[in-house]
Amino acid sequence: MSTKLVPVNTYIVVLVILLALTVLTVAVSFVPLPPADHVAAGLTIATLKATLVVLIFMHALHSPRLTWCVILVSIAWLLILFSLTYTDYLTRGALPQMPGH
Amino acid sequence: MSLKDTLFTEAEQKALFDHTFLARERLEEQYASLPHQSETAAFGMWVFLATEVMFFGTLFLSVGAYWCLAPEVIERASLELNWIIGGINTLVLLVSSLMMVLAIHSAQINRQSDVYRYLLLTAGLGVCFLCFKALEYYIDYRENLIPGFKFDEAEWVSRGVDASQIGYVKIFLFLYWTMTGFHALHVTIGIVAVLVMAVLTRRGHFSAEYYSPLDVTGLYWHFVDVVWIFLFPALYLLGTHRL
Repeated sequence: MSTKLVPVNTYIVVLVILLALTVLTVAVSFVPLPPADHVAAGLTIATLKATLVVLIFMHALHSPRLTWCVILVSIAWLLILFSLTYTDYLTRGALPQMPGH
Repeated sequence: MSLKDTLFTEAEQKALFDHTFLARERLEEQYASLPHQSETAAFGMWVFLATEVMFFGTLFLSVGAYWCLAPEVIERASLELNWIIGGINTLVLLVSSLMMVLAIHSAQINRQSDVYRYLLLTAGLGVCFLCFKALEYYIDYRENLIPGFKFDEAEWVSRGVDASQIGYVKIFLFLYWTMTGFHALHVTIGIVAVLVMAVLTRRGHFSAEYYSPLDVTGLYWHFVDVVWIFLFPALYLLGTHRL
Protein backbone atom coordinates (compact mmCIF):
# COMPACT_ATOMS: atom_id res chain seq x y z
CA MET A 1 0.00 0.00 0.00
CA SER A 2 1.09 3.55 -0.61
CA THR A 3 0.29 5.01 2.82
CA LYS A 4 3.19 7.11 4.08
CA LEU A 5 5.09 5.57 6.98
CA VAL A 6 4.82 7.82 10.05
CA PRO A 7 7.57 7.37 12.70
CA VAL A 8 6.43 5.62 15.90
CA ASN A 9 7.72 8.56 17.96
CA THR A 10 5.16 10.86 16.30
CA TYR A 11 2.34 8.58 17.47
CA ILE A 12 3.70 8.48 21.01
CA VAL A 13 4.12 12.28 21.15
CA VAL A 14 0.53 12.67 19.90
CA LEU A 15 -0.73 10.31 22.62
CA VAL A 16 1.15 12.26 25.31
CA ILE A 17 -0.41 15.52 24.01
CA LEU A 18 -3.87 13.87 23.99
CA LEU A 19 -3.45 12.65 27.58
CA ALA A 20 -2.21 16.09 28.68
CA LEU A 21 -5.18 17.77 27.00
CA THR A 22 -7.55 15.36 28.80
CA VAL A 23 -6.04 16.37 32.15
CA LEU A 24 -6.32 20.02 31.07
CA THR A 25 -10.04 19.58 30.20
CA VAL A 26 -10.75 18.22 33.67
CA ALA A 27 -8.64 20.93 35.35
CA VAL A 28 -10.34 23.76 33.44
CA SER A 29 -13.79 22.36 34.24
CA PHE A 30 -13.13 22.99 37.96
CA VAL A 31 -12.12 26.65 37.51
CA PRO A 32 -14.93 29.02 38.50
CA LEU A 33 -15.93 30.52 35.14
CA PRO A 34 -19.29 31.46 33.60
CA PRO A 35 -21.11 28.28 32.36
CA ALA A 36 -20.86 29.34 28.71
CA ASP A 37 -17.06 29.66 29.02
CA HIS A 38 -16.88 26.13 30.43
CA VAL A 39 -18.76 24.72 27.46
CA ALA A 40 -16.57 26.74 25.07
CA ALA A 41 -13.34 25.59 26.78
CA GLY A 42 -14.43 21.94 26.89
CA LEU A 43 -15.45 21.90 23.24
CA THR A 44 -12.33 23.76 22.07
CA ILE A 45 -10.01 21.27 23.76
CA ALA A 46 -12.13 18.36 22.49
CA THR A 47 -11.94 19.74 18.93
CA LEU A 48 -8.16 20.04 19.25
CA LYS A 49 -7.93 16.44 20.44
CA ALA A 50 -10.24 15.16 17.71
CA THR A 51 -8.19 17.03 15.08
CA LEU A 52 -5.01 15.32 16.27
CA VAL A 53 -6.68 11.88 16.18
CA VAL A 54 -8.11 12.44 12.69
CA LEU A 55 -4.93 13.93 11.20
CA ILE A 56 -2.32 11.64 12.75
CA PHE A 57 -3.98 8.44 13.99
CA MET A 58 -6.48 8.20 11.11
CA HIS A 59 -3.76 9.27 8.63
CA ALA A 60 -5.98 11.99 7.15
CA LEU A 61 -2.83 14.07 6.70
CA HIS A 62 -1.55 11.66 4.04
CA SER A 63 -4.95 10.70 2.61
CA PRO A 64 -6.16 11.38 -0.93
CA ARG A 65 -8.12 14.55 -1.67
CA LEU A 66 -11.34 12.57 -1.93
CA THR A 67 -11.01 11.64 1.75
CA TRP A 68 -10.46 15.29 2.59
CA CYS A 69 -13.69 16.12 0.74
CA VAL A 70 -15.64 13.65 2.92
CA ILE A 71 -14.09 15.04 6.13
CA LEU A 72 -14.70 18.69 5.21
CA VAL A 73 -18.23 18.05 3.93
CA SER A 74 -19.23 16.17 7.09
CA ILE A 75 -17.88 19.03 9.24
CA ALA A 76 -19.73 21.56 7.04
CA TRP A 77 -23.03 19.65 7.36
CA LEU A 78 -22.58 19.43 11.12
CA LEU A 79 -21.96 23.19 11.28
CA ILE A 80 -25.14 23.87 9.28
CA LEU A 81 -27.12 21.62 11.65
CA PHE A 82 -25.68 23.32 14.75
CA SER A 83 -25.71 26.94 13.57
CA LEU A 84 -29.29 26.89 12.28
CA THR A 85 -30.59 25.17 15.41
CA TYR A 86 -28.75 27.41 17.84
CA THR A 87 -29.72 30.63 16.08
CA ASP A 88 -33.09 29.72 17.56
CA TYR A 89 -32.16 28.33 20.98
CA LEU A 90 -29.43 30.84 21.85
CA THR A 91 -31.54 33.87 20.94
CA ARG A 92 -34.72 32.90 22.79
CA GLY A 93 -35.66 35.70 25.12
CA ALA A 94 -33.31 38.09 23.32
CA LEU A 95 -36.28 40.12 22.17
CA PRO A 96 -38.74 41.49 24.76
CA GLN A 97 -41.65 40.61 22.53
CA MET A 98 -41.59 38.37 19.48
CA PRO A 99 -43.35 40.03 16.55
CA GLY A 100 -46.62 38.28 15.83
CA HIS A 101 -46.98 36.81 19.32
CA MET B 1 20.14 -22.45 -15.49
CA SER B 2 16.67 -21.63 -16.80
CA LEU B 3 15.78 -18.55 -18.81
CA LYS B 4 13.84 -17.21 -15.82
CA ASP B 5 16.95 -17.35 -13.66
CA THR B 6 19.02 -15.48 -16.21
CA LEU B 7 16.42 -12.75 -16.66
CA PHE B 8 15.50 -12.12 -13.00
CA THR B 9 17.46 -12.12 -9.74
CA GLU B 10 16.21 -14.26 -6.86
CA ALA B 11 14.75 -11.19 -5.08
CA GLU B 12 12.93 -10.11 -8.21
CA GLN B 13 11.50 -13.58 -8.65
CA LYS B 14 10.24 -13.57 -5.06
CA ALA B 15 8.69 -10.11 -5.49
CA LEU B 16 7.01 -11.29 -8.67
CA PHE B 17 5.69 -14.41 -6.94
CA ASP B 18 4.38 -12.37 -3.97
CA HIS B 19 2.74 -9.90 -6.31
CA THR B 20 1.07 -12.65 -8.33
CA PHE B 21 -0.11 -14.37 -5.14
CA LEU B 22 -1.51 -11.11 -3.70
CA ALA B 23 -3.17 -10.14 -6.95
CA ARG B 24 -4.76 -13.57 -7.21
CA GLU B 25 -5.77 -14.02 -3.57
CA ARG B 26 -6.64 -10.51 -2.36
CA LEU B 27 -7.45 -8.36 -5.38
CA GLU B 28 -11.15 -8.19 -6.23
CA GLU B 29 -11.78 -8.23 -9.97
CA GLN B 30 -13.38 -4.77 -10.18
CA TYR B 31 -10.16 -3.03 -9.07
CA ALA B 32 -7.14 -2.24 -11.19
CA SER B 33 -4.62 -2.74 -8.39
CA LEU B 34 -4.31 -3.37 -4.65
CA PRO B 35 -3.72 0.34 -3.82
CA HIS B 36 -6.85 1.15 -5.83
CA GLN B 37 -8.81 -1.44 -3.83
CA SER B 38 -7.42 -0.24 -0.50
CA GLU B 39 -8.15 3.42 -1.22
CA THR B 40 -11.71 2.58 -2.22
CA ALA B 41 -12.24 0.58 0.98
CA ALA B 42 -10.87 3.42 3.12
CA PHE B 43 -13.04 5.93 1.25
CA GLY B 44 -16.10 3.75 1.90
CA MET B 45 -15.32 3.77 5.63
CA TRP B 46 -14.87 7.57 5.64
CA VAL B 47 -18.30 7.99 3.99
CA PHE B 48 -19.82 5.65 6.59
CA LEU B 49 -18.13 7.69 9.35
CA ALA B 50 -19.67 10.85 7.85
CA THR B 51 -23.12 9.30 8.45
CA GLU B 52 -22.02 8.44 11.99
CA VAL B 53 -21.04 12.10 12.50
CA MET B 54 -24.63 13.06 11.68
CA PHE B 55 -26.01 10.34 13.97
CA PHE B 56 -24.02 11.39 17.04
CA GLY B 57 -24.21 15.06 15.96
CA THR B 58 -27.97 15.21 16.49
CA LEU B 59 -27.59 13.77 19.99
CA PHE B 60 -24.94 16.37 20.88
CA LEU B 61 -27.24 18.99 19.36
CA SER B 62 -30.01 17.94 21.77
CA VAL B 63 -27.75 18.18 24.83
CA GLY B 64 -26.79 21.69 23.69
CA ALA B 65 -30.39 22.70 23.06
CA TYR B 66 -31.53 21.66 26.54
CA TRP B 67 -28.46 23.30 28.05
CA CYS B 68 -29.52 26.56 26.32
CA LEU B 69 -33.03 26.25 27.80
CA ALA B 70 -32.08 25.35 31.38
CA PRO B 71 -28.29 25.54 31.91
CA GLU B 72 -28.43 25.35 35.71
CA VAL B 73 -30.64 22.25 35.84
CA ILE B 74 -28.51 20.46 33.21
CA GLU B 75 -25.36 21.34 35.18
CA ARG B 76 -26.92 20.00 38.37
CA ALA B 77 -27.92 16.76 36.60
CA SER B 78 -24.45 16.42 35.02
CA LEU B 79 -22.91 16.72 38.48
CA GLU B 80 -24.48 13.38 39.46
CA LEU B 81 -22.63 11.57 36.66
CA ASN B 82 -19.36 9.88 37.54
CA TRP B 83 -16.71 12.09 35.89
CA ILE B 84 -13.85 10.11 37.42
CA ILE B 85 -14.84 6.86 35.67
CA GLY B 86 -15.61 8.91 32.53
CA GLY B 87 -12.12 10.42 32.71
CA ILE B 88 -10.40 7.07 33.24
CA ASN B 89 -12.31 5.72 30.24
CA THR B 90 -11.10 8.67 28.14
CA LEU B 91 -7.50 7.71 28.95
CA VAL B 92 -8.21 4.01 28.25
CA LEU B 93 -9.64 4.79 24.80
CA LEU B 94 -6.81 7.18 23.91
CA VAL B 95 -4.20 4.52 24.75
CA SER B 96 -6.21 1.91 22.80
CA SER B 97 -6.07 4.26 19.79
CA LEU B 98 -2.27 4.29 20.05
CA MET B 99 -2.26 0.47 20.14
CA MET B 100 -4.43 0.39 17.01
CA VAL B 101 -2.19 2.80 15.13
CA LEU B 102 0.89 0.79 16.21
CA ALA B 103 -0.77 -2.38 14.86
CA ILE B 104 -1.16 -0.68 11.47
CA HIS B 105 2.38 0.65 11.67
CA SER B 106 3.64 -2.89 12.33
CA ALA B 107 1.65 -4.11 9.30
CA GLN B 108 3.30 -1.41 7.17
CA ILE B 109 6.75 -2.66 8.13
CA ASN B 110 5.60 -6.31 7.88
CA ARG B 111 6.00 -7.35 11.54
CA GLN B 112 3.01 -9.68 11.72
CA SER B 113 3.58 -10.91 15.31
CA ASP B 114 3.59 -7.28 16.51
CA VAL B 115 0.38 -6.60 14.57
CA TYR B 116 -1.24 -9.51 16.41
CA ARG B 117 0.02 -8.33 19.79
CA TYR B 118 -1.10 -4.71 19.30
CA LEU B 119 -4.53 -5.81 18.06
CA LEU B 120 -5.02 -7.92 21.18
CA LEU B 121 -3.96 -4.95 23.33
CA THR B 122 -6.46 -2.73 21.47
CA ALA B 123 -9.30 -5.20 22.03
CA GLY B 124 -8.19 -5.70 25.65
CA LEU B 125 -8.35 -1.96 26.34
CA GLY B 126 -11.77 -1.90 24.64
CA VAL B 127 -12.96 -4.60 27.06
CA CYS B 128 -11.41 -2.59 29.90
CA PHE B 129 -13.47 0.44 28.75
CA LEU B 130 -16.66 -1.64 28.77
CA CYS B 131 -15.90 -2.97 32.27
CA PHE B 132 -15.52 0.59 33.62
CA LYS B 133 -18.71 1.51 31.75
CA ALA B 134 -20.57 -1.41 33.36
CA LEU B 135 -19.32 -0.33 36.79
CA GLU B 136 -20.48 3.22 36.09
CA TYR B 137 -23.91 2.04 34.92
CA TYR B 138 -24.23 -0.05 38.09
CA ILE B 139 -23.41 3.00 40.25
CA ASP B 140 -25.97 5.03 38.25
CA TYR B 141 -28.53 2.30 38.91
CA ARG B 142 -27.78 2.39 42.62
CA GLU B 143 -28.10 6.20 42.64
CA ASN B 144 -31.53 6.22 40.93
CA LEU B 145 -30.33 7.85 37.72
CA ILE B 146 -32.50 5.91 35.28
CA PRO B 147 -35.56 7.99 34.33
CA GLY B 148 -38.68 5.90 33.76
CA PHE B 149 -37.16 2.89 35.54
CA LYS B 150 -35.34 3.89 38.72
CA PHE B 151 -35.72 7.58 39.38
CA ASP B 152 -36.74 9.54 42.47
CA GLU B 153 -38.12 13.03 41.89
CA ALA B 154 -38.03 13.87 45.62
CA GLU B 155 -34.25 13.37 45.62
CA TRP B 156 -33.85 15.99 42.91
CA VAL B 157 -36.08 18.46 44.73
CA SER B 158 -33.89 17.99 47.82
CA ARG B 159 -30.85 18.71 45.60
CA GLY B 160 -32.36 22.11 44.86
CA VAL B 161 -33.97 21.44 41.48
CA ASP B 162 -37.37 23.11 41.09
CA ALA B 163 -40.13 20.46 40.85
CA SER B 164 -41.36 22.00 37.59
CA GLN B 165 -37.92 21.57 35.98
CA ILE B 166 -37.32 17.90 36.75
CA GLY B 167 -38.29 17.14 33.15
CA TYR B 168 -34.96 18.66 32.07
CA VAL B 169 -33.10 16.32 34.44
CA LYS B 170 -34.94 13.35 32.94
CA ILE B 171 -34.20 14.43 29.38
CA PHE B 172 -30.52 14.99 30.16
CA LEU B 173 -30.25 11.57 31.78
CA PHE B 174 -32.13 10.02 28.86
CA LEU B 175 -29.60 11.59 26.48
CA TYR B 176 -26.76 10.37 28.70
CA TRP B 177 -28.01 6.77 28.52
CA THR B 178 -28.69 6.98 24.78
CA MET B 179 -25.34 8.53 23.89
CA THR B 180 -23.13 6.42 26.15
CA GLY B 181 -25.23 3.33 25.30
CA PHE B 182 -24.81 3.78 21.55
CA HIS B 183 -21.14 4.58 22.08
CA ALA B 184 -20.69 1.37 24.10
CA LEU B 185 -22.43 -0.52 21.27
CA HIS B 186 -19.89 0.96 18.85
CA VAL B 187 -17.03 -0.06 21.14
CA THR B 188 -18.45 -3.62 21.27
CA ILE B 189 -18.66 -3.81 17.47
CA GLY B 190 -15.12 -2.38 17.31
CA ILE B 191 -13.79 -5.05 19.70
CA VAL B 192 -15.32 -7.82 17.56
CA ALA B 193 -13.86 -6.27 14.38
CA VAL B 194 -10.41 -5.93 15.98
CA LEU B 195 -10.52 -9.57 17.18
CA VAL B 196 -11.49 -10.73 13.66
CA MET B 197 -8.49 -8.79 12.35
CA ALA B 198 -6.29 -10.47 14.99
CA VAL B 199 -7.44 -13.91 13.79
CA LEU B 200 -6.82 -12.95 10.14
CA THR B 201 -3.35 -11.66 11.08
CA ARG B 202 -2.62 -14.96 12.82
CA ARG B 203 -3.63 -16.79 9.64
CA GLY B 204 -1.15 -14.76 7.61
CA HIS B 205 -3.81 -12.81 5.75
CA PHE B 206 -1.93 -9.49 5.75
CA SER B 207 1.40 -8.20 4.51
CA ALA B 208 3.13 -4.86 3.98
CA GLU B 209 1.48 -4.72 0.53
CA TYR B 210 -1.99 -5.64 1.71
CA TYR B 211 -3.52 -4.68 5.06
CA SER B 212 -6.58 -2.76 3.88
CA PRO B 213 -9.13 -4.40 6.29
CA LEU B 214 -6.80 -3.52 9.16
CA ASP B 215 -6.65 0.09 7.98
CA VAL B 216 -10.44 0.32 7.71
CA THR B 217 -10.95 -1.24 11.16
CA GLY B 218 -8.47 1.31 12.51
CA LEU B 219 -10.48 4.20 11.05
CA TYR B 220 -13.62 2.89 12.77
CA TRP B 221 -11.83 2.40 16.09
CA HIS B 222 -10.36 5.92 16.07
CA PHE B 223 -13.75 7.40 15.21
CA VAL B 224 -15.26 5.72 18.28
CA ASP B 225 -12.46 7.38 20.26
CA VAL B 226 -13.26 10.78 18.70
CA VAL B 227 -16.93 10.46 19.73
CA TRP B 228 -15.86 9.81 23.33
CA ILE B 229 -13.48 12.80 23.22
CA PHE B 230 -16.57 15.00 22.72
CA LEU B 231 -18.89 12.95 24.97
CA PHE B 232 -16.66 13.39 28.00
CA PRO B 233 -16.83 17.21 28.34
CA ALA B 234 -20.35 17.44 26.87
CA LEU B 235 -21.92 15.11 29.46
CA TYR B 236 -19.60 14.68 32.44
CA LEU B 237 -17.90 18.04 32.92
CA LEU B 238 -20.83 20.45 32.60
CA GLY B 239 -21.31 20.91 36.33
CA THR B 240 -17.92 20.14 37.92
CA HIS B 241 -17.18 23.87 38.49
CA ARG B 242 -19.94 23.77 41.12
CA LEU B 243 -18.02 21.24 43.23
